[in-house]
Amino acid sequence: MTAQTLPAGDQAVAAPAIELANAARWYGNVVAVNDVSFSLGAGVTGLLGPNGAGKTTLLHMLAGFLAPSAGTVHVLGRSPHRDPSVYRQIGLVPERESVYAFLTGYEYVRFNARLQGMRNADSAARASIARVGLEDAADRAIGTYSKGMRQRVKVAGALVHDPQVLLLDEPFNGMDPRQRLSMMDLLVEMAGAGRTILFSSHILEEVERIGTEILVLVAGRLAASGDFRAIRALMTDRPHTITIRSSDDRRLATTLMADPAVFAVELKENALSVQTAHLSAFRRIIATAGRTAGVRLTEVVPADESLESVFDYLVRR
Amino acid sequence: MSAGNRLSASSPSGSIFDLGYRHYAGKRHGRWYAAWSLYVESLRGVWGFGRPMSAKAAPFILAGLYSFFAFLQLAFSSTLANEISSGQQVQLFAYDSYFTQFGFLLILFCVAQAPEVVCRDQRYQVLSLYFTRAMGRADYALARLASLATALFLALIVPMIALFVGDVLMKPDTISAIGVELPKALPAIPADILIAASMASISLALSSYSPRRAYSAIGLIAYFLLMEAVPAIIYAVAQQGGWTSADKLVLLTPITSLSGATDWFFGKALGADYPATLGADTYVVACIASVAVFSAILLFRYRRMAA
Amino acid sequence: MSGTPMTGSSMTGSLTAFPEIVRLTFRQQLGRRRTLLLVLLAALPPLLALIFRAFGEVDVSRFTDRVFDLVSMTIVLPLATVLFGTGAFGAENDEGTILYLLAKPISRWVIVAAKAFAAVALSLVLTVASVLVAGAIEVVPAGSAGVSATEAYVGAMVVGSLCYVLLFLTLSLFTRRALVLGIGYSLVWEGALSSLLPGIANLSVRQYALGVADSFYQLHQQAARLSPTTALTLSAILIVVALALATWRLMHFELSGSTD
Repeated sequence: MTAQTLPAGDQAVAAPAIELANAARWYGNVVAVNDVSFSLGAGVTGLLGPNGAGKTTLLHMLAGFLAPSAGTVHVLGRSPHRDPSVYRQIGLVPERESVYAFLTGYEYVRFNARLQGMRNADSAARASIARVGLEDAADRAIGTYSKGMRQRVKVAGALVHDPQVLLLDEPFNGMDPRQRLSMMDLLVEMAGAGRTILFSSHILEEVERIGTEILVLVAGRLAASGDFRAIRALMTDRPHTITIRSSDDRRLATTLMADPAVFAVELKENALSVQTAHLSAFRRIIATAGRTAGVRLTEVVPADESLESVFDYLVRR
Repeated sequence: MSAGNRLSASSPSGSIFDLGYRHYAGKRHGRWYAAWSLYVESLRGVWGFGRPMSAKAAPFILAGLYSFFAFLQLAFSSTLANEISSGQQVQLFAYDSYFTQFGFLLILFCVAQAPEVVCRDQRYQVLSLYFTRAMGRADYALARLASLATALFLALIVPMIALFVGDVLMKPDTISAIGVELPKALPAIPADILIAASMASISLALSSYSPRRAYSAIGLIAYFLLMEAVPAIIYAVAQQGGWTSADKLVLLTPITSLSGATDWFFGKALGADYPATLGADTYVVACIASVAVFSAILLFRYRRMAA
Repeated sequence: MSGTPMTGSSMTGSLTAFPEIVRLTFRQQLGRRRTLLLVLLAALPPLLALIFRAFGEVDVSRFTDRVFDLVSMTIVLPLATVLFGTGAFGAENDEGTILYLLAKPISRWVIVAAKAFAAVALSLVLTVASVLVAGAIEVVPAGSAGVSATEAYVGAMVVGSLCYVLLFLTLSLFTRRALVLGIGYSLVWEGALSSLLPGIANLSVRQYALGVADSFYQLHQQAARLSPTTALTLSAILIVVALALATWRLMHFELSGSTD
């Protein structure tokens, strides 16, 4: 049950759950997804990109609602387009907020279970509602739900049949931070049970918390894929920012300024912010600098190791 | 995040930067200009201008169908002129009966376009954006009403012009023909103004009661069809049953009343299917009253509407 | 571990899905204001029947012409069916909830059949009840002619509901302006144009309904232009073609990538 990383190492037992080969999709003259290839196994993967990058188009291709204009899209080894039986193994949470407003949360989830042909629809629906933590609101009409509750009931409906592949389009929209955290826990837990989960987002901290695996889509093209820290390390031409706390920041700053590997030093409240080109070189420098200046270092943290900066970089390149 | 904190040691201070945006210092137009702008925009919207081709299809097809027969007559005017001069009896479309014959196509025009004019603003809850501007609620409602009425008037007057041109061309002496035809055609203008105002006020007043275009359209067509059929049916039965004042029911019909009013403008006798007890002028009064009533309903609706 | 896809090709879901979708559609179609509007519409023929009674009008053929033919057949039936027919998928399409139906392992024809079943059922209940009550009030007491007139129009409502609903439902899957098109079809094509061009009878649901009604009850109707067999055959063709087209449309359903 090893969480497969991408690109898929092929000694794994099963074929990758999701596989795109040179997939492209265009609408008239507008290219929404351009020559994208990747494969995903079990685990949580974040699909990132600014608005209009083609995330929704990609998810719709995976969900079988769009045929690729070129290339191939396979989910669980099959082409999802025009093959309804594939939905037995796919759970889809679309981006649009609307859910049947006149149904109660429970009725909606049960409806999904029945449409999946489940015999134990009642208990499955109760269980699914419980997984997203909506028990208290289960018997209220969805029309009375808040945005976050609607998102959760959509997720409950999508995972009621325990799909092998779960596709979520902006699932955290409208959720409050606590709901976000518990939804993330749920996704990680499902991934732990061998499910393949792909969710899209344009908010980067969401992705950071859950999985380390990301796919970055920029203007329809796959700009990066893999572990986001690894991706960050590959981008050597962009300076790293490091936050340092020490017993005497001012003194340390003057020492660091003298070193050619340091681009800039900025004195902040109780901390130093240092910019450098090479992380490994800096590790040596900081150790010596601390000793020569006679300053005790209390904290050395790479400040910009956030997806935001990775993303910024990829978009601007 | 880091840049702003560079001077954190100094005392707290703040400043507003001049980024070079220009302020508007010129004259501001008031509510009339705002209402006029909405009217123009809305009129373009009824015909689908400034919107995709698909939005132009319905209004142009329906208005086109309404004018179709007038243009057909215009196209064949030379043939018709020959037949007339050779002494044949030719039945021509006339100014005073054109609406009576083809008016139902304009019902469809209203059913298709009136919900477009007022439903979207309610559905997407943007009315508050209008009402916080220079324009008031009544201005909004009246500008919308005027735009639909103008659109209808255009649809009504175009076939009249086609008929007029055709009729003039059929005559050998064009100049004197204009002199003969113009007085016959001119009553079409007040008649069409009344028709446009009446149909527009009914359509918008009813449409404004639902934010969903589908329900508005159904409600509208139901009103037009039933209000045509039911009073006539009841009148027919009641006449046999001896209820003499049942003839007033016919005044409730939207299209039949407008046809009657048109006859008054053209100075034509009412047809046999009208109750003999009511004069053509009664229909003019009834139609003007209906414009007033439905405009009032529309204004009332917008005064009460939560925005 | 559990990476193997369960490639179940048989769609057992379809059996349980049909009643679920039917029930969902009933609840969608019976919103409060909609229901009120429709009940008012359907109540009109019975109300007119009461008025006829009140004025002591007992002539069967006059009532048939004025109420059954003019109100029930050309107003109540087309309006009820256009509302139910275009509404079956209309709201799902507008709101985007159609995805919840389509992302299920159900044959597409089951979805169409369930939606159509619900819409036809609602339309049948409404229009048949309307004709039956109106007939019972006014013409049935007048004897056998009244009974057969009522029966004839009940038959017309059955055929008309089936054909119109399927026609409008399929239309709504192809265009967003199905409602206006449907109203135009009944008002212009079947109404005004069919009197100018007799051939239109072959493509007119109203004529199918009248033709079938005529066949069953031998009622004198100068309105019916099609022979009973032709009417039945054409109705059957229309129903099958509409179902096939709607299913085809759902099978080839594609989303646009833009998010509104």
